[in-house]
Amino acid sequence: MAKIMILNGSPRAPKSNSKRYAALFAKYCSIACTYFEISKSNHAALRSEMEKYSDVLFVFPLYADALPVGFLNFLKFLENNPPTRKPVVSILINCGFFEYNQNEIAVRMMRLFCRQNHYALGSVLMLGSGEAILDSPFQFLAAAKIKQLAASIVSRSYRVFHVTMPLTRKLFQLASTYYWVQYGKKFGVTKKQMQTMEIESAGEVRSDLGH
Amino acid sequence: MKLILSDRPIHVALPDDENIRYFNLSALKISNCVGCFGCWTKTPGRCVIRDDATKVYPVIAQSDEVLYVSHVKYGGYDSVMKTMLERAIPIQQAFIRIFKGETHHVQRAVALKQATIVAYGELTEEEKDIFTRLIARNAYNMSFASYNVLFVEESKIDETVEKIVRTWQKS
Repeated sequence: MAKIMILNGSPRAPKSNSKRYAALFAKYCSIACTYFEISKSNHAALRSEMEKYSDVLFVFPLYADALPVGFLNFLKFLENNPPTRKPVVSILINCGFFEYNQNEIAVRMMRLFCRQNHYALGSVLMLGSGEAILDSPFQFLAAAKIKQLAASIVSRSYRVFHVTMPLTRKLFQLASTYYWVQYGKKFGVTKKQMQTMEIESAGEVRSDLGH
Repeated sequence: MKLILSDRPIHVALPDDENIRYFNLSALKISNCVGCFGCWTKTPGRCVIRDDATKVYPVIAQSDEVLYVSHVKYGGYDSVMKTMLERAIPIQQAFIRIFKGETHHVQRAVALKQATIVAYGELTEEEKDIFTRLIARNAYNMSFASYNVLFVEESKIDETVEKIVRTWQKS
């Protein structure tokens, strides 16, 4: 029987937007979904659990133009400790930038992982403006694509989807500035303080030449 | 400032020049970024995790020549280098700018860089292509004015680094 394992690969999984995306996916999916968060200490348990599922949906953010390192480490674990039964791998990736296509390198990395490790690749959803879209009037656009993503996995008619806010870049920039100013306010930090050009000093510690 | 950042030890006699810094990341204690956004919103420009990464990212910011040495996995930096690069986000602001027609983060006091990336591992042409495109994207987000990606065998890394450092001394 088909059932989907949702794996959150965000470094801040319990508080992440990826968790919110995963919840939307589970809400719109017509077959059973079970949600897990990847941590440093649960790779083996997740691998064992994975064998019970027909499909896996990896949900994660773009980090430094690629896969978050904690998630990368989980993929490397799977490579060295493959499940006996390999599910179809689908992907929901989000980046905070406006352009959904900034996710494309990470998706290519995932395709490569799947091919090298003999997993079938299912559907892909690339989200732009993924940090803020769920708290914007455009939440429904992300939700609609997640619904389509779920339907494509259930029907096994795999596709690539994408969505971002329907704004100009300039308007996106203004909206994101507002978002971050409000974020800083929660900690009593002003926009001017957040805009500091100063980076802490490296100190006087000399690096480990020759070691 | 010139920086050599490597995920393995480099066995090269480096010049005694305080403007050339070298970090062997494999010998440092660097935790994963936890995505708390503290360095953007609570203590701007300063990571809340006080480990060895805090010695490295200020030097990344100051350097106008960088030489990164990294194993490649699935067409991206392998874990050691990737961990450090993720921890370098205090050098950016949360705020967005439009740069070369795309949205990217505003940089703090970060020098424009000539970057050389020495990539190693048993790599297919596809992996090399993904990695080269990744570096092109990094250029936008990591202040690379120019970059050069060199794919080398692991046994040739020291020799390659030595040659690059020699060009730094001449310039």
